Amino acid sequence: MQETNTQTTTTQQITLTNSKLIKYTLFSLVFAAITLVTVILPAEYNIDPTGAGKALGLTVFNIVTATATSDTSTKNTKDATETIEVLVPAGRGVEYKFIMEQYQKLTYEWITDGPALYFDLHGEPKGDTTGYFESYTITTSDEVKGSFTAPFSGSHGWYWKNTSDATVKVQLIVHGEYIEHGLK
Amino acid sequence: MFNSFHRYGALSFIALIAILLPLEVFAHGVDESTRNFLQNNTGVQIIPFLYIGAKHMVTGYDHLLFLVGVLFFLYKSRDVLLYVSMFTLGHSVTLLFGVVSDIQVNAYLIDAIIGLSVVYKGFDNLGGFKNTIGFTPNPKAAVLIFGLFHGFGLATKLQEFQLPTDGLIANLIAFNVGVELGQFSALAFILLLINFWRKHASFNRFATNTNCLLMSAGFMLIGFQLTGYFTS
Repeated sequence: MQETNTQTTTTQQITLTNSKLIKYTLFSLVFAAITLVTVILPAEYNIDPTGAGKALGLTVFNIVTATATSDTSTKNTKDATETIEVLVPAGRGVEYKFIMEQYQKLTYEWITDGPALYFDLHGEPKGDTTGYFESYTITTSDEVKGSFTAPFSGSHGWYWKNTSDATVKVQLIVHGEYIEHGLK
Repeated sequence: MFNSFHRYGALSFIALIAILLPLEVFAHGVDESTRNFLQNNTGVQIIPFLYIGAKHMVTGYDHLLFLVGVLFFLYKSRDVLLYVSMFTLGHSVTLLFGVVSDIQVNAYLIDAIIGLSVVYKGFDNLGGFKNTIGFTPNPKAAVLIFGLFHGFGLATKLQEFQLPTDGLIANLIAFNVGVELGQFSALAFILLLINFWRKHASFNRFATNTNCLLMSAGFMLIGFQLTGYFTS
């Protein structure tokens, strides 16, 4: 063993036998592999070969992240047209909301990539805890154009329900005034 | 005796978890409002860039893990200063050079190498190199070289945004100074914890386990980033 120079003799180190070193190294590798496969990969990438991630409930992050393909989910844009893609997984409902002040107006247009979806365009007042909401439109369609003016400050937007067995992509084009928007 | 054994074991575990915890919270990226700022800013903006740099370092768990590894067996202030300066020198060079000359490095690969640096330091602390190749590669050089990669990592994060060229150099220097400030505050915290722990018998008892876990965390970072590389 050689010390590299005289001024750093302070680095004390652990002295292990070779077999112990191998044991510790292998352990760290195996521990990392297990954590990766059962926790990190399912949560981060929805890669879940063992099914452990699903059992632990860790794949939920991806239901959310996979549905928000738009990376402009919280931008303060005024008078610009924005196109947002929302993925509605099979057998699930997804809510996409815009935070708007009272009397702000939003013009919208959306189309699915296939089947018609049941939807509820509604608003919830800011700070409300009772669960109250007001629906503006409830129907089933694969394409809707329109506009609405927020009757109160709060979050306004769509609830889409996908009863089919395949993911449906909704392309939403909006133009108007709002503070921010995103999946809820 | 058994009680304190347990207590310090739990303490070291909590400290490690605390370091690993921000994984999901900060996700080592740049959050939405910062992104918005970076893409829309114009001119020289010293304070905001200082802040982003500092925040990136404080919340960058991979940089922090590496520093934990580097500092683990250093207790002389002069050594701490020396090693940290090597790291600073390394990452400053590549951060400035990378952004100014617009060198594009894949963020996943760079982050995988940063993960490797954590593994390297953990293995080194375990005395692994002495055991396997008979000597320890110059630790200061290793810190400098891995510092260069950490700087490329920082540079790639900044380059993801088309930074306006107006005031770029001043903003970059501000970002870099911010990184150092963030590193300094993170270091103070890490040193406080390690030095406190060093006074206790459990430090030596758990030194092997801690470095083994550190190595493991490095392997996790590598796996995480490589998976990202191959799936994106």
